[in-house]
Amino acid sequence: MLYINHISKTFGDFSALNDVNLHVSRGTVFGLLGPNGAGKTTLIRIINHIIRPDSGQLIFDGHPMSDEDVVRIGYLPEERGLYKKMKVGEQAVYLARLKGLDKDTAERRLHEWFDRLDIDSWWNRKVEELSKGMQQKVQFVVTVLHEPQLLIFDEPFSGFDPVNADILKREILRLKSQGSTIIFSTHNMPSAEELCDEIALINHSEVVLSGPLAEIKAQHPGQDLDRIFIETVTGKTSNNQAI
Amino acid sequence: MNKIPLVIQREYLTRVKKPSFWILTLVVPILIAAIYAIPIVLASRPLEHANVLVVDDSGLFQGQFVSGRDITYFDAGSLDYAKRQLNENDSLDAIVYIPARETTLPSDAYLYYRTDAPSVTVQGDVNNQLQKILRNVILQDVHGISAEDYALITSTSIKLRTQDIETGRDGFLQIKLIVGALLAILVFMAVFMFGSQVMRGVMEEKTSRIVEVIVCSVKPFQLMMGKVVGIGLVGLTQFALWVVLSGIALGGLRITNDGLFQQAQSRHVTEISTKGTEATNQYQAAQYQAAQYEAGMGVDNDIQDLIEGLGSINFGMLIVLFVFYFVFGYLLYASLFAAAGSLVDNETDSQQFTLPMTIPLILSILLMPAMVNEPSGALSTWLSIIPFTSPVAMLFRIPFGVPIWQVVLSMVLLLATFPLCIWAAAKIYRTAILRYGQKTTWKDVGRFLRMGR
Repeated sequence: MLYINHISKTFGDFSALNDVNLHVSRGTVFGLLGPNGAGKTTLIRIINHIIRPDSGQLIFDGHPMSDEDVVRIGYLPEERGLYKKMKVGEQAVYLARLKGLDKDTAERRLHEWFDRLDIDSWWNRKVEELSKGMQQKVQFVVTVLHEPQLLIFDEPFSGFDPVNADILKREILRLKSQGSTIIFSTHNMPSAEELCDEIALINHSEVVLSGPLAEIKAQHPGQDLDRIFIETVTGKTSNNQAI
Repeated sequence: MNKIPLVIQREYLTRVKKPSFWILTLVVPILIAAIYAIPIVLASRPLEHANVLVVDDSGLFQGQFVSGRDITYFDAGSLDYAKRQLNENDSLDAIVYIPARETTLPSDAYLYYRTDAPSVTVQGDVNNQLQKILRNVILQDVHGISAEDYALITSTSIKLRTQDIETGRDGFLQIKLIVGALLAILVFMAVFMFGSQVMRGVMEEKTSRIVEVIVCSVKPFQLMMGKVVGIGLVGLTQFALWVVLSGIALGGLRITNDGLFQQAQSRHVTEISTKGTEATNQYQAAQYQAAQYEAGMGVDNDIQDLIEGLGSINFGMLIVLFVFYFVFGYLLYASLFAAAGSLVDNETDSQQFTLPMTIPLILSILLMPAMVNEPSGALSTWLSIIPFTSPVAMLFRIPFGVPIWQVVLSMVLLLATFPLCIWAAAKIYRTAILRYGQKTTWKDVGRFLRMGR
């Protein structure tokens, strides 16, 4: 689905990404892991054509990725927001139309989604009247509404209570079963372990570990993903759990 | 796909739907109507009547005070008697006392009152009458000038007109000055008002983090231009509504108030004429003639001047140029305001960027008094050609007549500069809009300008 070939990006003297190579297979959930400032968000922004890499290439669906391909991506940023003074329905329709949907299709699909997530009664309320969890649901719906082939979630669970996080996980798995490819970045290792088919660990602008989750776990017997993460990032092997 | 129209539509509709837009749209015509109506209402409202006693020890003012619609004067022998009357009689308001002088004409007069000081109108009327009577005494008694000559002297005035030596047409400099200053201030306020709306809009998108969601569907440049154009259209809509609603309000006022206005005027005239016939003294009649002349003819002449003066201005060209300088002056500054909004997280920080960039605009308003002296001088000419000051300065000069090559040069330079401003603003904007929580300095701005995507 997506090949990331030799991507590098520097901001002034700071190297944000250094020769990153990754492959995201169609129909999988791909976990992008790494500590804060490692370069995850920069990579996601490059995939979304928000910033341009200094060098390297993206191959999307078999061809070099162009600006037109961006509408086939659904992106839920980590820093996300909505226009506070706008009504929920009006705003969702606007964002969907920016993604290329026509007004009628957008309204029809929105009502379906809002019904399922139990927020349809909020259609005519202003966003500022919504709780944070509800706003997150609206943002999630807007991200997936145009039925993109590739979905990118940056820290999707931050700000969700456990009940809503569980709903979100179910929806992600449902989208996967419908054939979507999903990239999601997170600090939350248990949820990564639960959802991901493949993972990549980025540290200090470089990919330090990548592959199918099952293989990686097999190489680190007896360790959970949290432990693998810490050891790879700090470069220390802890003997604690051997005792 | 070009998504600018969609962004423009949102920016426009969300603002036009706000109650604050309609409040501002209605308040301005109401204010204009009030400015027009209040003097008429005040003029037709009767003032509280005042009764004033006159005690004249000099013997020059006896029987000379003329009662009017609002004030009645009574002669009252001695000061002691008058003081007693003032204390005992509630309907009396004040005493005018003129002491006698042995050799010279009186130089002081007193206005006595009990508890409440007489109104400004009463004080002014007493003062005017004292001056006039005294002048009359000097001219008639000392120099022997007749009542007819006196009326001629007081009613004569000379008007200075400025005229073009070739066309012989009137200059009407004062009217042109007022029209020019109004246009300049209007453009200044509009650019500032709608420019800062652009800035607040950009800041809202940045602080609420919605921008990250949007820039993956829309190029930052499209988002910025959509906002600038959308808010500009809101501005044009507001102007159009102001013009239409003010016209309706003033038209309506004229119809309903015509009766009132005429009533007030005719009462004034009747009072003057009845008082005129009642007046026994020849001087009083003459004085009324003079007053009538001043009130009637003078006002007529002023109105005629105003109409002629306004007629001498080319309004077609003025409107075209007003729209031109508003649109492109706005585009120039609004894109800079957008860049400033993208650089900061709150309004307080924005001042370090907005202040330097609006200096040319503020300067062109501050230098207006200097431009008044020489509307075609070097300062005015330069300010009206330089793109950053030309929207305000050129509109100020237009009513006075500007050589066509200067207008064309100024327009061409403005047209050439605004794309540069938008280009620079877009470069700053697309980098700065995604930077959160970092304090931005002018050094960073330079870096953003050099940086690629």
